[in-house]
Amino acid sequence: MMAQENNAILHIDHLQKRFGKFQALKNVTFDVYPGEIFGFIGPNGAGKSTTIRTLLGILRASGGTATLFGKDVYKDSVSIHKKLAYVPGDVYLWPNLTGGEIIGLFLKLGNTKHSAKTDEMIKRFQLDTTKKARTYSKGNRQKVALVAAFSTDADFYIFDEPTSGLDPLNEEIFQKSVLELKQAGKAVLLSSHILSEVEKMCDRIGIIRDGEIVETGSLSDMRHLTRTVIQFQTMEPTTELKGLDGVHNIVLGSNGLTTFSVDSDQMSSVMDYLSSKKIVSLQSTPPTLEDLFMRYYNSNEGR
Amino acid sequence: MENRNFHQTFFLTRFSLKRDWLKLTIWSGLLVVLFGAVAAKFTTIYDSQASINEIVKTLKSPSMVSLFGKLPGSGPYNTADVFAGEMTVFMAIIAAVMNFSIIIKNTRGEEDSGLLEIIQSHSVGKLSNLSASLIELFIINLLIGLLYGVGLQVADLAGTDTNGNFLLGLGLGAAGFMYAAIAAFLAQLVDNSRSVTIWSYVILGLMYIARMTTDVSHPKATWYVPFGWVEKFSTYQDNNWTPVFLMLGLSLILSVAALWINNHRDIGSGIIATKPGRAKATIFLRGPLSLFWRLHRTTIIVWVIGLLVLGFTYGSIFNTIGDILKTNPAMKQLVGTAAVHKANVLIIKQFVALLMIVFGVLALFPGMQIINYLKTGENKGYLELIHSKPVSRTYLFTSVLILGSLTSLIALLAGMWGLQLGGASVMKHPIELSVFLRGFYAYISPVMIMLGISAFIIGWIPKISVIGYLYAGFALFVEYFGKLIDLPKWISKLTPFGYINKVPVHQLDIETLWWQLALAAILIILGYIGYHIRDLNSAN
Repeated sequence: MMAQENNAILHIDHLQKRFGKFQALKNVTFDVYPGEIFGFIGPNGAGKSTTIRTLLGILRASGGTATLFGKDVYKDSVSIHKKLAYVPGDVYLWPNLTGGEIIGLFLKLGNTKHSAKTDEMIKRFQLDTTKKARTYSKGNRQKVALVAAFSTDADFYIFDEPTSGLDPLNEEIFQKSVLELKQAGKAVLLSSHILSEVEKMCDRIGIIRDGEIVETGSLSDMRHLTRTVIQFQTMEPTTELKGLDGVHNIVLGSNGLTTFSVDSDQMSSVMDYLSSKKIVSLQSTPPTLEDLFMRYYNSNEGR
Repeated sequence: MENRNFHQTFFLTRFSLKRDWLKLTIWSGLLVVLFGAVAAKFTTIYDSQASINEIVKTLKSPSMVSLFGKLPGSGPYNTADVFAGEMTVFMAIIAAVMNFSIIIKNTRGEEDSGLLEIIQSHSVGKLSNLSASLIELFIINLLIGLLYGVGLQVADLAGTDTNGNFLLGLGLGAAGFMYAAIAAFLAQLVDNSRSVTIWSYVILGLMYIARMTTDVSHPKATWYVPFGWVEKFSTYQDNNWTPVFLMLGLSLILSVAALWINNHRDIGSGIIATKPGRAKATIFLRGPLSLFWRLHRTTIIVWVIGLLVLGFTYGSIFNTIGDILKTNPAMKQLVGTAAVHKANVLIIKQFVALLMIVFGVLALFPGMQIINYLKTGENKGYLELIHSKPVSRTYLFTSVLILGSLTSLIALLAGMWGLQLGGASVMKHPIELSVFLRGFYAYISPVMIMLGISAFIIGWIPKISVIGYLYAGFALFVEYFGKLIDLPKWISKLTPFGYINKVPVHQLDIETLWWQLALAAILIILGYIGYHIRDLNSAN
């Protein structure tokens, strides 16, 4: 683990950010490694964009440290940005410039040029670059930023809800392009609300709530922390089920099937109980990211 | 049956009034207090007939006519006449600024930001927003007009009458509404609020220049210029209400035209359509400086040419102003031709000295706008992607500073050059450019201080960036008007312009130049520090 920490591209340790009296980030800690797609999820207002803007040196941290390529994100922002590409959630473009002009400008600001890769990305996303930005839809504005980011040769990519305006076809192109980055050994920080996307693409996930990272790890790591949904039928009545530790949300179905969810660490004792009642049928569903998500998003639970 | 196009208009009017109440209160409060305070002050400044005769002589000189409009009617004049003569044109300009800013924001501005789309998606008529905005401004201008009238009643200047008080008050209100209607009409033609603002001011500027030219040469022709109608009230002399009806008539025509176009166009579009552009950036567009130039290109060109034209127009009346023999034919025998010429040149120099503040402050506006772009661009989210590039904050700050300062200085220079060219076009012995350049050199330092203040604010408290404009407006008022309304000397020392020699009558004072430049440098350095350590804002 120590060895891995040393080669982390992004290293965040107890990052804090205060706006006046409001503590937007209380404790954000996570790392991102090369060749990894890190999913960054959490409810609206939890601090995702604040974290990202701090990483970009747009906001100044009130406490803790954050380094990219081993350099301080605020002090060394200029040299860090040479190897970084970013796509914000809401892309605002100068209305009187064309998409092509803006892409060219962004590339030149990053000391690169309009290349064959750029043309390929424009073709992939089917963007009309001769149009003025004021005529673009939200999805088209995002495409402009995506084309510029994907045709930049960076080592670290940040995407803040990049597909919220894209149609499913373009969403798939986006996913394909991100996976290509991963194969090339780049590190990606992907903040998203589209859980299927995160589940499909991300190697590891960090969940943020109220300015705190409440969970990090791979999806399979996290499944241990959550509940499995069980649907069953037994010969004998299971009246004591309600009283068992770790059992929640019991629903009696009209077809004689009972459904409940169980905390992963109480699984074996609950199963013992059920088998003692002579199981007729049993079906278990592993928690999806959505379940995890709901559990952490619901402010009454998961603390 | 109700007209669906106007459905919910009154609801939206109430909503706009509620949303804008602070802005409206500040504007109307400011205007009414300014108007009333000046009126009250006049009773003390011009209390004797001698002092009135003195100021009337000044106001009748061509230079003052060009600036403040023609004093109507004939003598003997009283305090009220002087007040109306000095204030009418000036208040009309301020009314234009207020109405432009509010109506453009509420019509094309709402459309740009997408707010209108949300409103339109409800059970609201297609024309309701535009008509609600027009009604809102009609109400507010009517209110301001009535308060002006009441203020004049209370101030009770020698020589006023109730008819004249309310004519001047409501007439200025009508003028304000006319500017709102002009901007509302222009807002239908072009498809973004910045262009509407530029066009509105271009038209205001053209009308101002037109009325200035006709006032000094053929006062009757001023009737053809809507801006000049306010002068034709002939307040306290003939008390002519015709111009008020002309203004209301024009407003009605423009409003109907605006509504008609609004009804026949798509949301977000203008009559003048947006053309497709380049598929790639040119070699020139490569960094922050060239980007900022590209974004402000039109503004910069319009201001520089505008000041050149304004200078030329003022210059082209030099022969009328600098003709001392017109008012005093005996002079030639007394002092000889050479001395007359010298006296003429001195009058022109004095006229230019008074004009300097106008050019100085006007040149400031585009420069401040460019420096403030670090804030406006930030708030609109345009700069977020730039911030994620390897571009340092110092570089961004330097870019706007260089572009802003150059714009202001070039605009100022253009004004001076325009004066010289205008003068040369009408005078037998034109004044050399070096005389006007004296004014330019002397005004470099106060202009830099003012820009330094904007840079400082952008660095530390971008929220209040509008203060820069307000301070510049204050400087204009104090320096331009201060002597006429006899403001105490110390007020003039509240702005950097108050420390400048009377150029080009006098030479540039090197000492002032140095300490002012040093102060500007300090403000700019502090601005750099602030911009370096503060959080940058984002669109949401």
